[in-house]
Amino acid sequence: MDYGRPELADRLAAEYVAGTLRGPARRRFESLLPAHPLLREATLAWQRRLMPLTAPIAPQQPSGEVWRRISERIGGGSEAKADGGAWTRLSFWRGLTAFASVAAIGLAVLLANPSAVPPPIVVVLAPTGTAPGTAPPASLVASISGDGSTLVTRPIVPVSIQPGRALELWAVPTAGAPRSLGLLPGGSGTVALRAKVLAGADTLAVTLEPAGGSPTGQPTGPIVYAGKFSL
Amino acid sequence: MVKPAADWTERSLDLSRLLARAGLGDRAAFATLYERTSPHLFAVVLRINRDRAQAEDILQEVYVNVWRAAQSFDAAQSQPLTWLTSIARNRAIDSLRRGQTQPKLQTLGSAAGGADAEDEDVYDTVADAAPGPLDLLSRATDARALGECMDKLTALQRQSVALAFYQGLSHAEVADQLRQPLGTVKSWVRRALATLKSCLQGAVVRDGAGAG
Repeated sequence: MDYGRPELADRLAAEYVAGTLRGPARRRFESLLPAHPLLREATLAWQRRLMPLTAPIAPQQPSGEVWRRISERIGGGSEAKADGGAWTRLSFWRGLTAFASVAAIGLAVLLANPSAVPPPIVVVLAPTGTAPGTAPPASLVASISGDGSTLVTRPIVPVSIQPGRALELWAVPTAGAPRSLGLLPGGSGTVALRAKVLAGADTLAVTLEPAGGSPTGQPTGPIVYAGKFSL
Repeated sequence: MVKPAADWTERSLDLSRLLARAGLGDRAAFATLYERTSPHLFAVVLRINRDRAQAEDILQEVYVNVWRAAQSFDAAQSQPLTWLTSIARNRAIDSLRRGQTQPKLQTLGSAAGGADAEDEDVYDTVADAAPGPLDLLSRATDARALGECMDKLTALQRQSVALAFYQGLSHAEVADQLRQPLGTVKSWVRRALATLKSCLQGAVVRDGAGAG
């Protein structure tokens, strides 16, 4: 079967979403989705069309046991990010260790030069590997100037993203909503840091947004790079 | 057509923020997301897998998947509740295995000359207070465009789609339930979906009242 044919993709996607595609055919369809953009597009379109059918279904309360089991399985603990949340679970932590040593060397060199200005804080943002639409993963380095007035980011490897999308940088506090630090064309940016915009933040994250940035003031797209830091 | 986030309802924006924070590891935001959406998703799962214990297991799987996939949720591609509901329906449909009986299928299913137990089940079904698929369709006030398009279907097309969508029945199971040939049901479902698609796209369907 040629899954590139739009009509076939559309028919299969319709049956998949409607629920009539079943058994081995359904499992096969699901396994094809990651590699076939036409199938994905068609599936998303049918989901948009048909999910409103669920609107009038009367809600039903699951037992408290369900949440308890979910909570255990996602890593126990009760405070937000007490366990480090998504960051500790991702393999990018292993990759980050290599970069951390590079960053440490950079800082050591700077510290060796006596200066009245405190050295910059370097944050390495590693790819989180969750955005299939982007170019091959690169890393970003963000440098927060010693006087806290400026943040500069640069890509280690050139970054390219699809047209109509943009990279937006966020300071993520341990509690409260992420704060936008602006857009990063090509992964580069220079941000004049307003007072306290980094207050309480321990993570920098870059998300993939529509061109012009998030329309809502909060991240809406997938996280593509992230890195922790402390001021 | 994808609705841009600027046009979303407040609820959709709220859920999007919660999902984004859950993607960053914020368990409190994820707990709030669960609180806000689990009754809806649980109800959707129950329509497909009526065994409450199994439905709870499915719901658990759904939210563990949501936690792990939250950082890849892309608001440019779907609204949060659409994304969540799709995951729930897919896991629920996966949980149904061939030969696994659901109460409704047992009563109107393949066995000719029903046993006593099956006859009792028929009365249980009739007495079931939960709305049937057609009732749900007529109450789709939130989805007015979709409701109007569903009205363009013939009654049998509508019923076939409703049975498939709400209960997760396959073509063969719908054919069993309606006591119609498999080929007929397949064509009803196919016509219904095609009509919905073009209706929703605003196109005029000239022979939408066709055979059915």
